[in-house]
Amino acid sequence: MNFAGSQLAAVLADVRRGMIPAHIYGDPQIFALERMRLFARSWVFLAHESEIPDRGDYVVRRVLADSFIVARDESGAVRVMFNMCLHRGMQVCRAEMGNASHFRCPYHAWTYRNDGSLTGLPFHAEAYGGEDGFPREGQSLLPAPALGIHNGLIFISLDPGVPPLREYLGDFAFYLDFYTRQSPAGVELRGPQRWRVKANWKIGAENFAGDSYHTPHTHASVVDIGLFREPKASKRKEGALYVAGPGAGTTYKLPPGGDFAGQLRYVGYPEEMIPAMAASWSAGQRALIADSGFMVSAATLFPNLSLVHNWPQIDERGTVAPFISLRQWQPVSERETEVLSWFAVDAAAPGDFKRDSYKAYLMCFGSSGMFEQDDVENWVSITEMAAGSMARRLKLNSRMGLTAAGQPIKPPLATFAGPGVAYQGFGEFNQRHWLRQWSDHLEDPR
Amino acid sequence: MTARPLPYGDPAHQAAHQFLVEEAALLDTADYSGWLDLLCEDIRYLMPVRVTTARGAGFDSLADMGHFDEDMYALRKRVQRLATDHAWTEDPPSRTRHFVTNVRTFRNEARAPAEFLVESAVLLFRSRGDTREADLVSAGRADLLRETGAGLRLARREITVDEAVLRTQNLAVFL
Repeated sequence: MNFAGSQLAAVLADVRRGMIPAHIYGDPQIFALERMRLFARSWVFLAHESEIPDRGDYVVRRVLADSFIVARDESGAVRVMFNMCLHRGMQVCRAEMGNASHFRCPYHAWTYRNDGSLTGLPFHAEAYGGEDGFPREGQSLLPAPALGIHNGLIFISLDPGVPPLREYLGDFAFYLDFYTRQSPAGVELRGPQRWRVKANWKIGAENFAGDSYHTPHTHASVVDIGLFREPKASKRKEGALYVAGPGAGTTYKLPPGGDFAGQLRYVGYPEEMIPAMAASWSAGQRALIADSGFMVSAATLFPNLSLVHNWPQIDERGTVAPFISLRQWQPVSERETEVLSWFAVDAAAPGDFKRDSYKAYLMCFGSSGMFEQDDVENWVSITEMAAGSMARRLKLNSRMGLTAAGQPIKPPLATFAGPGVAYQGFGEFNQRHWLRQWSDHLEDPR
Repeated sequence: MTARPLPYGDPAHQAAHQFLVEEAALLDTADYSGWLDLLCEDIRYLMPVRVTTARGAGFDSLADMGHFDEDMYALRKRVQRLATDHAWTEDPPSRTRHFVTNVRTFRNEARAPAEFLVESAVLLFRSRGDTREADLVSAGRADLLRETGAGLRLARREITVDEAVLRTQNLAVFL
């Protein structure tokens, strides 16, 4: 890499003070560093257990260029295996989903059980001299170096020395429950919709982490048409932004005076779901809604898993239905990202609610979503500009919420029931938090 | 449903084919309110997510997840949005061309008023700005056209897109 250490140090110093050298959103050298120092080390989301409910079910997912089979083996355990034959390196599974007891390499028919172990090898005696020449015992597709599951969310890390997933999630686990543990049944995922956008992967991750400031303008059209009442600036600026562990997110301020059940009804949850939510969430989690009066909306878990929870109007009668989406910003290159967008819903929710929530999702987010359409237009445009020469002379101001001396313009919320640090109103605290983690990874040469 | 498509000379086939061509003209001139007028009030407009599966898997699209799964309310909202001053992704607008071909019409004998199943292929060319590469979206369509007093109207459309990973930045367009 012809990227001098001093150059990198200067870039990271700028990023850490909230003045972002614009070229990081379109720079192949930065992307090479992200590949080696970030994606080869961090916990990365792959799939949810509800996508592989039965023995033999599998999905194939990537961490950048590395393809992994995520399978439920014959004992019911989740296995994540590098999708490359031990012999000549062919992909042993070329479908993206299905059900199989074995994976057979098309090249020479080496065959693996769905737990990864090598079980078949043609002409073992004649070609290899049997077990003496090539002992099959203990041979297996390479397992993911580290595997962690939380609320059914399956993460891997390419770094076997990574701290355990639960430790990594830290205080963000508190917020993750609002999206993925609304009842003891947990969440079920559908999809993903997959599409490629000519945008740098970081922009979406930062946006979901904390950009409440873009909502009133970028998404003005959805307010214009009466699809979602909340994004207008007068309401958006009352929301809280929180930073917790490796994650950060945005919230909306709920109407004053509501109790726990009333606030959930306000965002469209039916009566029958509310007792399970009350039982599934801790006193602190309930208090965030009932006492602090905030409802989670967009969030990002570093590095590239984002979540969103909104509650649009889904029919002429004015029915408000909330939806949840998980989305991953899968880098293809410094200027292209594959978006994977799942619809998520409480597995125990009534059928009518699942139908309404799915409709709400499709109208708002995903490949056709009316929010997401305008987001991606911004991100593609930024990426296009970031690849040029002038972008190397421009530092993007990401200091919102700070004085010139680097102090918050107002104190953190004193009564916010969630862990971490929260500020009410607009600010770029969350994006800077995300970028600090990014900087820490990029400067670590190990 | 007749098993064989109507002959190309059949007036019903010609009317169905002309419907699709007129519809494409409305979409390519961004006359979306005109397009809505071609839809039945009970329209279902579907585009399942296609997936890569083994030949023997028995499915190659997701039964419970689409790129679109729209009723009239949802389609009206999309059209209303494009008509606001704030639908940034289509301002400046894409230049689009819907190429419609491979049209086959089947008569549904059982239904009154008359309904026709019309299969077609559509290739959408979409160009934005002056520096980006243009996008192509290729899809098959299975439409249900219903005879009404005002002419044929679209009662159902299922779009079978030919990519598992779309190569267009969003679906702020109709197929």
